[in-house]
Amino acid sequence: MLKTIIEKEVRELISSSRFAIAMSVCAVLIILSFVSGAQEYHAAQRQYEAAKAENLRQVSGVTDWLMVRHNRIFLPPDPVAAVVTGVSNDIGRTVEVSGRGELSAEDTRFEGEPLFAVFRFLDLEFVFGFVLSLLAILLGYDAVCGEKERGTLRLVFSNAVPRATFVFGKLLGALAGLIPVLVIPLLLGCLVLVVMRIPMAAVDWVRLAFVIATGLLFVVVVVAVAVMVSAVTHRSSHAFLALLVIWVFAVFVVPRTAVLLAGRAVDVPSVDKLAAEKAAYSRQLWQQSREQLASFTPTKTDDVGQMMKEFQQTMEKQSDERDKNMQELSGRLNESRANGQRIQAGWAFALARLSPLASFTLAATALAATDLKMKDRFEDEAYAYQTDYARFMKAKTGMVPGAGMIIMKMKHGGEEEPKPVDPRELPEMQHRKPPLAGAVTAALPNVGLLMIWGLGAFAGAFIAFLRYDLR
Amino acid sequence: MAEINQPIPYLEAVNLTKRYEDGLLALDHVSFSVFPGQIYAMLGANGAGKTTTINLFLNLIEPSEGEARINGTVTHRDPLVAKSQVAFVSENVMLYGGFTAVQNLEFFARLGGKRHYTRGDLRDILLRVGLPSEAHDKRVRGYSKGMRQKCGIAIAILKDTPAILLDEPTSGLDPKAGWEFTQLLGSLRQEGKAVLMSTHDIFRAKEVADVVAIMNQGRLIMERSAAQVAQLDLQQLYMDHMAGRAELSATEV
Repeated sequence: MLKTIIEKEVRELISSSRFAIAMSVCAVLIILSFVSGAQEYHAAQRQYEAAKAENLRQVSGVTDWLMVRHNRIFLPPDPVAAVVTGVSNDIGRTVEVSGRGELSAEDTRFEGEPLFAVFRFLDLEFVFGFVLSLLAILLGYDAVCGEKERGTLRLVFSNAVPRATFVFGKLLGALAGLIPVLVIPLLLGCLVLVVMRIPMAAVDWVRLAFVIATGLLFVVVVVAVAVMVSAVTHRSSHAFLALLVIWVFAVFVVPRTAVLLAGRAVDVPSVDKLAAEKAAYSRQLWQQSREQLASFTPTKTDDVGQMMKEFQQTMEKQSDERDKNMQELSGRLNESRANGQRIQAGWAFALARLSPLASFTLAATALAATDLKMKDRFEDEAYAYQTDYARFMKAKTGMVPGAGMIIMKMKHGGEEEPKPVDPRELPEMQHRKPPLAGAVTAALPNVGLLMIWGLGAFAGAFIAFLRYDLR
Repeated sequence: MAEINQPIPYLEAVNLTKRYEDGLLALDHVSFSVFPGQIYAMLGANGAGKTTTINLFLNLIEPSEGEARINGTVTHRDPLVAKSQVAFVSENVMLYGGFTAVQNLEFFARLGGKRHYTRGDLRDILLRVGLPSEAHDKRVRGYSKGMRQKCGIAIAILKDTPAILLDEPTSGLDPKAGWEFTQLLGSLRQEGKAVLMSTHDIFRAKEVADVVAIMNQGRLIMERSAAQVAQLDLQQLYMDHMAGRAELSATEV
């Protein structure tokens, strides 16, 4: 009996013109999202290579490592991030590393190309979250009430059809019709990545597969909600209107309101406020340094070289102290801000999860490693690099740069012309994607929520249909 | 012994009553029986309770009191068993518009647990109800009401149940289709089916029914055998009942 209903649903669905139109739109958008993602990846890769080359070029003109003032590191583009952009275009992709002090990522994708910030990118998250959810509603809104309106429900239930079987058949039939038709363009999209030579590692494919599976789970949830609403209402126009309102709330209102409410509920000191506090403390430390420098007395006044050496040592000692003090304050302020942000994000996400879309977005971005933690990960890598860089510079120059020191090099006659430094000696930033297991673990609660949403909606459809007026 | 030899009615209403939540009494202690090979016609104006009776037999609604039984099974206690023994044709048969007649029949045959029909069998049934073969593979969306009614009757036939419920089945049929339908009812009677038919069509009721009943405001106010009906001016009687001129006691039922 269930098989009969499922077969009928699939046959009815795929023979309808609205299905053909909706699925054509889906197929085009899905493939387009892969194509545009691949193009974006290549563009970002070119930009990344050019930026790295320019950084090395600037270093290559220098004859002493002490003169290297601007060493920058760049966040390399990620193939999976090209199809699930997440926050990857909103975070800074460049960090200037001086050897000490605070680091901050700058130069976001949208800074360089603000046009893209207007409408954002057509990525898989958008296609699943906005387009497919709407089309799933379009295909499922009249699953039950449409049969009542058309008069077929009475004829169906003149047979020995259990209500549970019918509503389950409706849901499974809609999914059996929908999912294979979605999987085909998704597979074609994967083929696009291969054809366009996107360097996807095995783990990237696994990540992408998980993202797609989560997206399909989200579609299942939307279909289940659509069937539930259609089993509550008696007119398809009412069901469509109700689902449209639910969609608007789920897609736009709930996530944004959650962020707004969390922002109001948890006070997080602004970056400007922190910067002002840090600047004030820095001024105070510099003032102390200047006062100490004023009382600098070399042990020997007849040996300029020795005098300069002592001066530099004093300067470096002061720099280290300033740096230590600044790090302490910055650490304290940053930690306080990070804690506030964590609490804020926790509240925002908890509230936003009232919408299945938020759960899907959080799961997909966690799997693609383009979630909020992307910024933290890049900054952690930048700090790790700064340690390596400081060690490298110490070995090369005997001191750690970035203290605002004035370097004086005395050239004596007869000395050889200095050779330019080899920029290839500079340490490389070690960029590692978060491990897949960690990404899956981070995504699991949201995937679980999506499952609960799906089961809840189905249970709701079932309960509603138990009381449905079949006449 | 006489009771033992009495045939079991395939369709039986026992004090069947339906009061809706808003207090409307749609059916008021209605009792009747339809035996194998019998056509039972319920006449009545709109709102008389005919469709409510059929809905109760189909368990689309539950009775407030009393029982509807199909082949001895109480419909609201064991609806699946009950419904497996009854076929139904509504006033306005609505089918899956995107499917052809054959596809619709195929689906409803499977739904009724009849998987043995071949497409050839289904076409034969469609021909039997008068649907020309050139229409069999056309989408039902483009069918006239008469063609859909024929499909509905075909669905009822292929279910091959002992009892059949017809809710104003000839409504909207042209005279030829109506005549064909009358012939079909005759053959169903020959096969021993118990047919409960609600209708406005007094002449057809008189023509085919073995028992004619008149319903008014939820009550069964008259029940006559075909032999009795033949002696009556049924139209006049019906109009008198509708106008409240006839004074019939409950014992006449």
